[in-house]
Amino acid sequence: MKNISKQQEDNLIAYLDDALSPSEKEHFEQELSASPVLQQQLAALQNVTRVLKNTPLEHPSKNFTQRVMNGLNQYPVRSGLPLKNGILLLIGVMIAVGIASFLLAAGVFDASGSIDLNNMVLQNKYIPESLPSIPVNTKLIINIIIMLNIALAFLVLDRAVLKPWFERRTRMNL
Amino acid sequence: MTDPEFELIDRIIAGNQTVYAELVDRHKSYAFTIAYKVLENRSDAEEAAQDAFVKAYHHLKSFKRDAKFSTWLYRIVFNTAVSYKRKQKVKFQDIETTVVEYGQEAEGILERSDKKKYIQQAMNKLNEVDKLVISLFYLEEFSLEEIAEITGMLVNTVKVRVHRARLRLADELTILLKKEALTL
Repeated sequence: MKNISKQQEDNLIAYLDDALSPSEKEHFEQELSASPVLQQQLAALQNVTRVLKNTPLEHPSKNFTQRVMNGLNQYPVRSGLPLKNGILLLIGVMIAVGIASFLLAAGVFDASGSIDLNNMVLQNKYIPESLPSIPVNTKLIINIIIMLNIALAFLVLDRAVLKPWFERRTRMNL
Repeated sequence: MTDPEFELIDRIIAGNQTVYAELVDRHKSYAFTIAYKVLENRSDAEEAAQDAFVKAYHHLKSFKRDAKFSTWLYRIVFNTAVSYKRKQKVKFQDIETTVVEYGQEAEGILERSDKKKYIQQAMNKLNEVDKLVISLFYLEEFSLEEIAEITGMLVNTVKVRVHRARLRLADELTILLKKEALTL
C-alpha cells in the first residue's frame, strides 16, 4: 500500500481483526472517514477476508484413502548403513588418524629402518647368494596411511553420515 | 499433550494397520488442501498427500506426541509438497497436464464470481509459502502457532507473513479492479 503509512497499514489490519482498544478504534475511524485512500484499502481488505474465509476445503479423489492404504506396504526400504553406525565408523576412522598423527608427531617413526633379506629363512635354504637389504621409510608409509584414512573419513562422512542424514530430513524434516 | 487420536495411533503401532484408514479419512481434506496450495495441481497434490500419509505411517513411532497428530502430519504434508514443487520446477510440463489444468481453470473461471476471480489472481502473485500461510490462516482451523509448526517457521515470522500477505492481496485486488474499471 503505497499511499498509506506503515502505522496506518497496521491499524487497518488491527481494525479488521477487532484488535484496537475503544479509544484507538474511535481515533482510527475518524482518520478513516477523512481518507478515501484508507477507505479503499479497507474495502479491499474486507473483500479479501470475506472471500478467503468462505473458500471451501479442497477434497481429494474418492479412492484416496484406499490408495494410501495400498501404498503402506510398498514403502521403499532404505539401503546402506544406518546413520548411527555411520557416525560410529567415522569416529573410529578419525581416532585411527588421530593416533597415527600423534605417534608420528612424537617421533616414533623417525628412525629409518631396512628389511634385511639375508636374515630370512628363505635365503639360507633356497638362495645361496647374499641378498641386498631394502630400505624402508616408515614415516612415509604412515603418512600415506594417514592420507588414505582421511580420504576414507571423507567418504564415510559423505556416504554413511551426511547422505542418510539429508535423506532422513527430506523424508520427514521433523 | 493429550490428543484423542493418540489411542488410534497406539493401536496402529500395535499392528492394527486398518485403523490408519480412519486417520487418513479424518485428515485427507486438510492434507490435500495444504498440498494443493503449494503445488497448484490436483494430481500432484494428491500424489504428494498420499506420499505424506505413507511416510507418516512408517514414522508413527517417532511421533513424539508433544503436539497434535494433525500438526505433525500436516508438517510432513507441507515438506513433501515443497519437495515435489522443487522437482516440478526442474521438469518440463507435459502436454497432457497442461490440457487438464487449462480445462480446470476454464471451468473454474466460469464458476467463480468476479471478486473471487480477482482474489485468485492476486493470490497467484504470492509465493507458495505465503499462499499456504494465508490460506491456513483463513481456514480458521489453525492457530498461528500451529501454522508455524506446520511450516517450520517462527510464530512471529508467520504473523509477519500473514500481515504482509493480507496487505499485498488487498493491494493487488485494488490494482486489478482499477485495471478492470479502465477497460470497461
